[in-house]
Amino acid sequence: MIDWRRTFGLREAGVHYALLLLLGVLAALAASRGLPPYLSSQNLGNIAYQASLVGIMGVAMTVMLITGAFDLSVASVAALAAAVLIGLAGQVGFVPAAGAALCVAASIGLLNGAIVQFVGINAFIVTLGTLTAVRGLVLILTDGRSLMVEQPQVLAEMLAFESTRVPLFWPLLALAAGLIALGAVRRLPLTIAGGVVVGALALLAGPGFTVAAPVVYLALFTALVWFVLRFTVAGRRLYAVGGNAEAARLSGINVHAYRLGAFVLSSVAAGFAGILFGCRLGAINPTALQGAELTVIAAAILGGTSLFGGAGSVVKTVAGALLLFTLTNGFNVLDLGANYQGLIEGIVVVAAAAIYTIGADRRRDRPAAAEEAAA
Amino acid sequence: MVTLSLEGIAKTFPNGTVALRGVDLTLAPGRVHGLLGANGAGKSTLIKILAGALAPTAGTIRRGGEPVRWSTPRGAKAAGVATIYQHIPLVPTLSAIENILLDEGGWRRSRAADRARIAALVTSLGDPFPLDALVADLPIGARQMVAIAQALAAGAGVVVMDEPTASLAGHERTRVYETIRRLAGEGKAVLFVSHFIDEIMALTDEVTVLRDGRTVLHAETAGLESHAIAAAIAGRSVTALERAAEPRTLGAPVLEVRDLASPGRLAPTSFTLRAGEILGLAGTLGSGRSELLHAIFGTDRRASGTVLLDGAPVGRWPDEAVAAGIALVPEDRAAQGYVPALTLAENIALPHGGRWLLDADADRTAADDAIRRLAIKAPGPDAAPGELSGGNAQKVVIAKWLSPATRVLLLDEPTAGIDIGARTDILRLIRALADGGLPVILVSSEFEELLAVCDRLLVLRDGAVVGEADPAASTESDLILMAGGGRAPVGAAA
Repeated sequence: MIDWRRTFGLREAGVHYALLLLLGVLAALAASRGLPPYLSSQNLGNIAYQASLVGIMGVAMTVMLITGAFDLSVASVAALAAAVLIGLAGQVGFVPAAGAALCVAASIGLLNGAIVQFVGINAFIVTLGTLTAVRGLVLILTDGRSLMVEQPQVLAEMLAFESTRVPLFWPLLALAAGLIALGAVRRLPLTIAGGVVVGALALLAGPGFTVAAPVVYLALFTALVWFVLRFTVAGRRLYAVGGNAEAARLSGINVHAYRLGAFVLSSVAAGFAGILFGCRLGAINPTALQGAELTVIAAAILGGTSLFGGAGSVVKTVAGALLLFTLTNGFNVLDLGANYQGLIEGIVVVAAAAIYTIGADRRRDRPAAAEEAAA
Repeated sequence: MVTLSLEGIAKTFPNGTVALRGVDLTLAPGRVHGLLGANGAGKSTLIKILAGALAPTAGTIRRGGEPVRWSTPRGAKAAGVATIYQHIPLVPTLSAIENILLDEGGWRRSRAADRARIAALVTSLGDPFPLDALVADLPIGARQMVAIAQALAAGAGVVVMDEPTASLAGHERTRVYETIRRLAGEGKAVLFVSHFIDEIMALTDEVTVLRDGRTVLHAETAGLESHAIAAAIAGRSVTALERAAEPRTLGAPVLEVRDLASPGRLAPTSFTLRAGEILGLAGTLGSGRSELLHAIFGTDRRASGTVLLDGAPVGRWPDEAVAAGIALVPEDRAAQGYVPALTLAENIALPHGGRWLLDADADRTAADDAIRRLAIKAPGPDAAPGELSGGNAQKVVIAKWLSPATRVLLLDEPTAGIDIGARTDILRLIRALADGGLPVILVSSEFEELLAVCDRLLVLRDGAVVGEADPAASTESDLILMAGGGRAPVGAAA
């Protein structure tokens, strides 16, 4: 049984509509100006590539927000991970350096979480502090200069990790077939429809369709977190911890462990994004990724994640990240005047939040009446 | 002073739900009018209409004979109707006097004239709180008095009180009773809403009982018997819970509590609970009843001592207690009992771990079973617990623990603030569970309930067990005496 009005309503699916609408508008503008087609598989792949780092951090941030906490330090942690990677890769090789970078990131997440949970300071304040302190650490490590990897063979390894093109035609067709088969067996019309859409897009893109590796990392990470949130006991408990921490605690859920886990996940995801960033350039400058945490949070808000915990969807966060980077990409490709970009992005974020809030109010009206009906 | 009368007030919500089907109610100066009804009978809707939070769909409100209309809280206030809600909406970070003056005009934050006026008003209430104390620092009874002062400061002629005593301890209730009598004595009209029939009998001049949006009883209190009111509320004759005819047979010891203590809250306490035993904890609010439960459950981090389940020590964290089979139904169901963002089925499944993947079908089946077994009035397993009335939400919180994994059930005020039908359901369920061999510890402010259901009673005062009572040989007044005051007798303040 599907509640169609809810599933396809503005509140549930608004960010997807916004993304499609924006793509449509940009495509029409590109066509009217005689530019090459905007909706080419290459350009769409580019948008996904540009959004991948923010998307990866956004997925973890969504988990964080679901538990009712907040992490402002992600961009600084990503920069620190990149600095550790670049600094160490020359001596110890790519894989050990990446491992070290992830460990450093995880320990900062653990520190953030421990201070928030056991000292009891608000997460906003703690991570505002670590945002600044970790950025300072990056400056100390790099001595304020750009670092780069000199060894050509390590550099090649890093490039291979980040810039390999992954052919997606056959995997997408397989995914489409899988979705249609699952939908047919379990009688889920939406799953069948999703499979048809994926298959159609794959056929449109053609057998030569490839994307950069970070897009695949983002897709896999999103799918994993989505699965955990949707289908596991741990996922439900994450929502419970954010929705009513006291009720969760009295239900025997280890609230500390879930919150701490969210902080570590957030920092490790940021560390991984930092590694991708470092690999992209083979170098790091100490102000890299400054301000990206706000884009990450904006993506989660566009995806309808509540800042008060207990609600949120990683798929919609990724759609939110794609929406933000489609705006950026559109401004660049169509040369619409980069000066307007910030203004438009800001308006989009506030408008999205307004839609969610109004939608939530309308939902809240119903329970009052239902209470009368139930009694 | 004027008379406010409601004539044929009806309210139909846009979705078609009919909450009120034509209610008449007269609030006369100098009289206290009691309003009763089960949860969902339409009391809340009627109060919201009086307070201006909702507009009626039919009927007239007359003030001194003139028809009046208002559709905003400000309008109601301007017409001289002040409403004091059960959950007191005050600003905790402001002082008491600033809260009282919150809706006054002008531009200066504090004026000597206002202060003198409010000081006189608060003195007339018996100085229940210092004017400059932060509301956050005040005990809940004093906050209630701040809310009453706020209502009176605006010069209201009609005072509506929605269950003002529901969350108060004995002496705080007495103060509210005194205030209500004083207000009536000053010629104000008071509408007093309560679940407590004894309060209604002692305080009010006339009584209206609502059921299904209609007035089913309106009479002078003097000529009424309390069981007539109870019958009108329930709509069927209330089968009061009979005390168990003979002592129930108890099984082997299950839970042993040794020297459980918490600094400043609970003196060292030891007792043993047997299979199928219902142990009642009697005492006033703050006597250590809830504190004892939380010490057993591991939510009190400062507690020391040993809890043994079947002879094995239980870990001192709540997740370890749950894993061992100890279950707690907390006092405040909305804040501690359920997660509003999850459905009924998900809430019921919340404590049950032990697997990785969710089994939505099994959860829904379990929820359907619980809905049937506990007679939960809910649209289905996908309903949100916040949409349910108090009694039904409480049943959902209890349903969380109805699994074979539960070895000991701790219940903290499971019947507080719920109507008599749901209350009886819950007490029957407790008995049925105990008959099945589950040991239960029950905390309740209703000593009558404890006497009816429990096998043994511990009486607490000031954080220590002061005595043990045999329910078969005790009366409510025995318990009140042992608990050191208890709920002050309603008539005392008259």
